[in-house]
Amino acid sequence: MKHGIIVGAIIAVVSAAMILWMRTIQWMPVQAAAEARPIDWLFGLHIDVITFLYVLVNGILLYSIFVFRRKKGEEDAVGANLHGNTKLEIAWTVIPLITVLFFAYLGTLVLNDISAAAADEMDVNVRARQWSWSFEYPEAGVKSTELYLPAGRKVKLTMTSEDVIHSFWVPEFRVKMDTVPGITTTLRITPSEEGTYKVRCAELCGTAHAAMLGTIRVVSPEEFEQWLQGKQAPTSPADLSEEELVTLGASTAEAAGCLACHSVDGSKSVGPTWKGLFGSERTLADGSTVVADEDYIRESILNPKAKTVAGFPDIMPPTYGDTLSELDVEALIAYIRSLK
Amino acid sequence: MAVTTAPAHEAHHEEVSPARRLYLNRLGLWLFIISESFLFGGILVSRFYLWGSTRPHLDQALGMSVTIILLISSFFANRAEVAIKYDDHKTFFRSILMTIGLGLLFLVGVVGMEWRTSPVTPMMNGEFNVYGAILFFMTGMHAFHVLTGVIILAIIARLGKKGHFSSRNFWGVEAAVVYWHFVDVVWVFFYPALYLIGTAVGPAH
Amino acid sequence: MKIGRILLGLIIGAAAGAALYVVMRLILGMPAMSANPWPMIALMAATGVIGLMLGIEPSLGLARALAGMVLGFAVGLLLVYGIRLLLGMDPAWSPEPAWVTGALLGTIGFLLGVGVVTDWLKWTWGEETPLQDGPPKGKPAWVRYFGPDQNHKVIGVQYTVTGILLLGTAGSFAMIFRTELSKAGIDFLPADLFNTFISIHGIVMIASILLGVGGLMNYLVPLMLGARDMAFPRLNSFGFWVAVPGAILIVLALFFGGWDTGWTGYAPLSVRGPLGIDFFMLGVFIFGFSSIVGAVNLITTVVGMRAPGMSMFRMPIFVWASLATSLIQLTGTQLIALSFLMVVLERIFNMGFFDPASGGKVLLFQHLFWFYSHPAVYIFILPGLGIISELLPVFARKPLFGYKWIALSSMAIAIIGFLVWAHHMFTSGMSESLRVPFMYSTMLVAVPTGVKFFSWLGTMWRGKLTFPTPMLFVLTSIAVFLIGGLTGPPLATVPTDLHLHDSYYVVGHFHATMFGGFVFPFFAALYFWFPKITGRMYNERLGKVHWLLQTVGFYTMSLFMMRAGLLGMRRRIVDYDPALGVEGYQTVVTWAGWIIFISVTIGVINLAWSAYRGKVAEPNPWGSRSPEWQIPSPVPEHNYEEPFEVVGDPYDYGVPGSVYVKIEPEPASG
Ligand code: HEA
Ligand code: HEA
Ligand code: HEC
Ligand code: CUA
Ligand SMILES: [Cu+2]
Repeated sequence: MKHGIIVGAIIAVVSAAMILWMRTIQWMPVQAAAEARPIDWLFGLHIDVITFLYVLVNGILLYSIFVFRRKKGEEDAVGANLHGNTKLEIAWTVIPLITVLFFAYLGTLVLNDISAAAADEMDVNVRARQWSWSFEYPEAGVKSTELYLPAGRKVKLTMTSEDVIHSFWVPEFRVKMDTVPGITTTLRITPSEEGTYKVRCAELCGTAHAAMLGTIRVVSPEEFEQWLQGKQAPTSPADLSEEELVTLGASTAEAAGCLACHSVDGSKSVGPTWKGLFGSERTLADGSTVVADEDYIRESILNPKAKTVAGFPDIMPPTYGDTLSELDVEALIAYIRSLK
Repeated sequence: MAVTTAPAHEAHHEEVSPARRLYLNRLGLWLFIISESFLFGGILVSRFYLWGSTRPHLDQALGMSVTIILLISSFFANRAEVAIKYDDHKTFFRSILMTIGLGLLFLVGVVGMEWRTSPVTPMMNGEFNVYGAILFFMTGMHAFHVLTGVIILAIIARLGKKGHFSSRNFWGVEAAVVYWHFVDVVWVFFYPALYLIGTAVGPAH
Repeated sequence: MKIGRILLGLIIGAAAGAALYVVMRLILGMPAMSANPWPMIALMAATGVIGLMLGIEPSLGLARALAGMVLGFAVGLLLVYGIRLLLGMDPAWSPEPAWVTGALLGTIGFLLGVGVVTDWLKWTWGEETPLQDGPPKGKPAWVRYFGPDQNHKVIGVQYTVTGILLLGTAGSFAMIFRTELSKAGIDFLPADLFNTFISIHGIVMIASILLGVGGLMNYLVPLMLGARDMAFPRLNSFGFWVAVPGAILIVLALFFGGWDTGWTGYAPLSVRGPLGIDFFMLGVFIFGFSSIVGAVNLITTVVGMRAPGMSMFRMPIFVWASLATSLIQLTGTQLIALSFLMVVLERIFNMGFFDPASGGKVLLFQHLFWFYSHPAVYIFILPGLGIISELLPVFARKPLFGYKWIALSSMAIAIIGFLVWAHHMFTSGMSESLRVPFMYSTMLVAVPTGVKFFSWLGTMWRGKLTFPTPMLFVLTSIAVFLIGGLTGPPLATVPTDLHLHDSYYVVGHFHATMFGGFVFPFFAALYFWFPKITGRMYNERLGKVHWLLQTVGFYTMSLFMMRAGLLGMRRRIVDYDPALGVEGYQTVVTWAGWIIFISVTIGVINLAWSAYRGKVAEPNPWGSRSPEWQIPSPVPEHNYEEPFEVVGDPYDYGVPGSVYVKIEPEPASG
């Protein structure tokens, strides 16, 4: 009994102190979506219980090690003759049972909360492919390689994949959902903090999985409307100077995921480098040659199966035609042209 | 694996009595069968996951016939087992040959005929839709087990012919027959899953 | 002269390899030499080593097995080529079906070569074969460890040593990719190679655990039951040897483009990848046979071969744990085999199981895979937890607290373990109505696991504890497994898992469970039974160094992994974003990994050295009540002269006058 009281007191004090200390730690990245709050709250509750249980078990363990160790002169001494205690066993079956069921119940509540639909939610379609993301705003009829979201409004992402499984994860939003070929999956988020974030593909999807990042810009609703209108009435390539086109092309190449496979500095990658590509003579897989002029590059982007460069696998996604606007393609060509 | 004949007389260091050995052998065989049923269970689950309540058009007469053939073969297998336990070597040998024959006939029916004539995309084109995939997978995995069963029975028949088995040494026969029954029972589940359950879709026969 | 013979073997072997290479290429209609010299060099190295081994000892089972494997491969390649040629298929040389057939025939060649199926083949011909009795006659005694021996203790050692070898292999791969990860940016490992290395690290570690588990169970269970051997000694030998070609195929995958899918091999990525995926999947498939036949054997032994008086509730806890483990292996393994088989079939025959374009469904793979692979994680820990329960009473000099509860909790974990698989799929897009039920069922596993923890505490409470190396490992096992276990419920809760899934938090979780549930208990068991197995004592001081370094290294590694994961560090990435603020943590994890690597190396050296040079051990150094400690060390060929009789409870340490077993005749060494 004496031992029990001492160890109980130690555990109570230490676990209380530990829990308070653990609560001061910022476990997660900033909360940039409404969904993050209940999730972090639930995780914090988990941490409290974990801390308590960890101190409980290790407290008794360490106490036993120090107090019940065999001391000098006890060489043949034996421990107490305890075989078990049914009441205790039942207690430590039932109490954890109630605890975990309670957590599952809380989990259900939070899950319902974060996946509930809202009346004014905005639809966005997400498409993933090796190794890039693209987004479509069906109501506005706009396609984009960056995800622009208005702060404070719930969006419903309807997602799919063109090839293998990918996973849409923005750590600052906490939630994650796979994109699966053949089916659509949904994810709801309500961005709350303006800023720039990254979608990080969280499911191993082949060579450039690590580089499969997409850009998310959470902006004010006014700014969002502006951007959407700008997209709806696209600038024609002719309105832009060559320099502006090149700059636009560079950011498109980044956002559309081209750079996962193509280098711009001459180094070897999954696909041929773009450095010095424009105007050079290309040897194709069937042995013929072709000069990389504007038309060839356009074709390579929109219909990459048509001509395959010798020494490279024919794996470039054939779907860019669906997601890139005419302006994007012009800008990409200008950018590739600029890489001497 | 455990389907083999135990040595007739105990080697000097064999540690358990013959009765215990038989008990252990039976236990081992049944465990193996439990394990295998998880394999076939998984295949069945895949069929329902992918086909749901549909199925392709298959030759009903053929399906029915091979099923009956296999069921009859099980009857003969059982007869062989009973016969050897009564030292009736003649019946034993005849029944086991019958079982083998019917088993081969089953294989001809499934592999030789169903595989050729089923309307799902045929094998050599190199493309299977999900109907072809599951059909060939289910029948193929089962046929593979039937084939091993036939081979085991053939070994048993040959050993029996040489007078290897008797009412005191029948484990080899029993094991082979239990395995055969198992393969049979698997088909009893596969047959309706392939031929009967759900509405037929796709090109007709 | 011996040296001369060995050199000759090496030269003839290498020459045979070169010849085989040229002949194969000519038959397959290729030029005799290829521009890439490495395949030929690799083949020559392999056959050279075989020749060398045959030079050392012509009857070496392993060398014959490898030779059989090489031949099997050659036959398989030619067979497929011939068939395609005959059928007029174009092109006749198609690598994928050819190598897959080669791998299958190679495995058969291996088994025929090692001679592990010889007895059965003779039976089919009506010939009777006696069980092997003792070491092979007229050969050096060590040869039996490299051939198809039928004694459970030899097989146990074979399993264990192979397991440690694989641990070293997988650990070395970990150190390579860990070094790459210590800084952001890609330094020396290209992305594809990185993906291959993490995958091979994962699956080889798992194979190593399965072998380690097999080793412990094979060595200990018959001894604890008072049986002379396992129920099916030939099957036992087969179970070990079939695992070897499986492991070889997995490692061979490296030379066929590797595989970049992780150990989980999710379709459709695995349907698209390089040829290495076939090798990986077939390797695992063949490895599965080992698990299945091992489980058949073990369950039969436990059910049918207990000593007189040993009722189920008088069995040692480790036997209970082994029984529960085997039930999972017996049934679950078929499903991972099935899922991998379907991927290989889809790859070779275009059978569209997982291809939406032909009506297949991607998620089917995950359901089949996790139906095995979740219960499999309990295969990894149940024996380890059994070891903890087995050793604690010895070192606490106190009865095991709540024996029945511990015994039954193993069964409960095994059974509930089959109902929770979809918790790996909370973000997979599976039907919404499945997420909540699987959250509840997953939570339930915490309950029987908790029972074990609290019963262990009860066992130590008011004992008289001593702390030699095995006990130290047992104590850290408890603390480390607790980290792993307690980090499970946040994963099991769907909303929090939405953040944690596929992050380094998961990586930290499962390293903690696997180290606490397997690696630490495994070393506890190795140190504890080392004097039993070898008759010698390990070096206590080195043992404690090993323990200290491994404990410190491991705590650091797993805690920092989880920390990085919470901040947004994804799994399976060669390069990470320093903006997340994880680079410092990653550097620490790498250092910690190296500390673990060094500690395990010290441990292995300690054990290897002590096996030859250690001082001779006392008959029962730990004062254990278990029957295997009442007979001489190393254990005689057939264990007990006569089956002992169980007359008491196994863990009544400190209960005056109680005995567990009566062994007759009194062993000579006392
Ligand atoms: C040895 C292996 C092992 C063990 C024992 C466990 C044990 C558990 N695991 Fe773990 N797990 C893995 C190995 C293991 N796991 C691996 C390898 C993966 C990743 C696979 C991959 O994707 O590559 C994984 C992934 C994984 C996931 C998927 C994560 C994801 O990818 O999103 C989940 C989700 O639920 C999970 C949950 C659990 C739970 C609830 C337990 C429980 O069994 C834990 C129970 C134990 C305790 C809870 C501690 C003791 C109990 C008490 C002291 C009583 C009181 C406790 C409470 C009241 C809470 N694990
Ligand atoms: C038993 C299981 C086990 C063990 C022990 C380990 C041990 C280690 N693991 Fe591993 N790990 C896995 C199982 C295991 N791992 C699994 C299943 C995965 C998932 C793979 C996937 O995602 O698909 C994984 C993934 C994984 C990752 C994530 C990779 C990623 O997703 O990006 C990392 C990253 O740090 C990692 C690191 C380490 C390190 C540093 C060790 C260190 O502890 C290693 C230390 C070294 C040793 C323990 C070996 C020392 C032994 C010797 C020196 C023996 C010498 C003897 C002879 C030569 C006879 N592991
Ligand atoms: C999955 C990897 C991948 C991605 C992503 C990718 N490509 Fe490619 N690309 C390739 C490969 C491989 C080739 C060479 C084979 C071929 O020609 O199809 C190639 C070829 C090209 C070529 C012809 C190059 C030459 O050397 O002749 C151009 C131009 C090109 N890609 C542009 C793009 C643009 C623009 C994007 C993004 C919008 C993009 N690629 C995205 C893999 C990729
Ligand atoms: Cu897409 Cu990883
Ligand atoms: Cu799991």
